[in-house]
Order: sequence, then C-alpha cells, then structure tokens
Amino acid sequence: MLRLSILVGAVAAGCSATALAASHTVTMDGFAFKPQTLEVKVGDTVEWVNRDILPHTATATANAFDSKTIQPGGKWTWTARTAGQYAYECALHPNMKGVVQVK
Amino acid sequence: MNKLSFTVAVAAFALAGAVHAQAPNDAQIAHVVVTANQVDIDAGKLASTKSTNKDVQAFAKQMIADHSGVNQQATALATKLKVTPQDNPTSQSLAKGGKDNIAKLNTLSGAAFDKAYVDHEVDYHQAVLDALDKTLIPSAKNEELKALMVKVRPAFVSHLDHAKHLQSTLGK
Repeated sequence: MLRLSILVGAVAAGCSATALAASHTVTMDGFAFKPQTLEVKVGDTVEWVNRDILPHTATATANAFDSKTIQPGGKWTWTARTAGQYAYECALHPNMKGVVQVK
Repeated sequence: MNKLSFTVAVAAFALAGAVHAQAPNDAQIAHVVVTANQVDIDAGKLASTKSTNKDVQAFAKQMIADHSGVNQQATALATKLKVTPQDNPTSQSLAKGGKDNIAKLNTLSGAAFDKAYVDHEVDYHQAVLDALDKTLIPSAKNEELKALMVKVRPAFVSHLDHAKHLQSTLGK
C-alpha cells in the first residue's frame, strides 16, 4: 500500500510537471542579467526583475520580445511560445547581455 | 597626454590623494558624488545636442538619464539622513575638470568633437571608479551612503565599457 501511494504520488507529480508551465526569474542586478543564460520549455514564463537602482530593459536582438523600460523594483513577464535561442540585451545599457533558450 | 586627460588625471589624483591627506567625511562624500554626476550630465547635454553621430548621441542621452537617476537618489538619501553636502577640494577639482572639458568641447565639432567627448568619458568614468574604490566607499561612515555607492558602482563600470566600445568604433 505504501509502495502504491508512492507510485501514485510520483505519477501525479510527473503529470503536474508536464501540465503546468514553469515560471523562471531573471534578475537585473549590478548591471548584469542573472542567470545570463536561461533554459526554459515552450509555455514557460520568464520574469525579469530589476533590482538595480536605474531602469533597464530586456530587449531581444531579433525583435522576439521587448520589455520596454523596467523601473527599479519593477518586473516584466514574457511567455516563451516558440522554441529557439533568443539573445537579448538591455537597450539602455547594451553591454548587459543575456540568452533565453526555449526548448 | 593631452590637456584633457591631464585634467582628468589631476582630478583622479586629487580624489585618490584625499584619502592620504584626510579621509573625506560623509557630507563631503555626498558632495563629491553629486558633483561627479552633474559634471557628466553637463557634458552629456552638450554632446546630445552637438554630436551628429547617433551612437554618441544615444550614449550621451543615457549618461544624462543614468547620472540624473543616481543624483536623485543621492539627494534623497542626503535629505533623509539630514546631511548637507559639503563642498571640498575634490568636488572643486571635479567641477573645474568638467568646466575645462566643456570649454574644450565647445571649440570642436564633427568627428573631433565626438572623439574628444568619448575619450574624456573613458577617462572620467575610470577616474570616478578609482575614487569610489580607493576613497569614497572605504571612507563612508554611514552604511546607507556606502550601500548606495556600492549599488551605483556597476553603472560606472557599464558606462566605462560602453564608452570604450564607442571609442573603438569612432574613426573607423
């Protein structure tokens, strides 16, 4: 019985992992995106949180997404709908660079 | 070394030297921070109107935005802490360096203007970073003032990288 409930639990966990999209956070901190490279699945959401004292953006270099200005303490969410590799930067501080890999 | 970099070097020396002579107090540090930002805002305002290079203009506008943002926070913190920023030789040296820079930039135009502006931005941001690391951050007594400067530091690193990148593309 114990074994069965563990099995059921594992199956349930497996189902919820595939059914529910995961959410990921990228912080803008110290004029850098952390993590710099993020791997997500199609359907997942990515939230950029600005922990710096100046505004930033998360702007894909190939126009896939653009947060526009995210004020200090602000955040912006993007849903990954298409697989691919998305390089992005802060449009205000172009030496801040990051990558989202959507699988 | 041209006259401009010499002025910046003198300012950097004055900033670094301040710690040996007498560590600045928090009121003086606050004044240095505000002056350093204002100097770069003024240069940015000139460059954003006078430069015809869109990358230089974009950089100048970002300098105005970022250094204004830092100054708003520095001023808000000084008000909160009831600290009246106090003028001092380091601030005076920075202000004079900024004035000399504007005077020189006013005599130039076109590519010569862009080069002089960007060269000075590289030297200026390097000088301020040195001052933050060697004098301003170590000397600050108030933790919030220290924390603000630590938080501001990456902005100067980012600006320095941006200015260096711009410097490498000019004249090509």
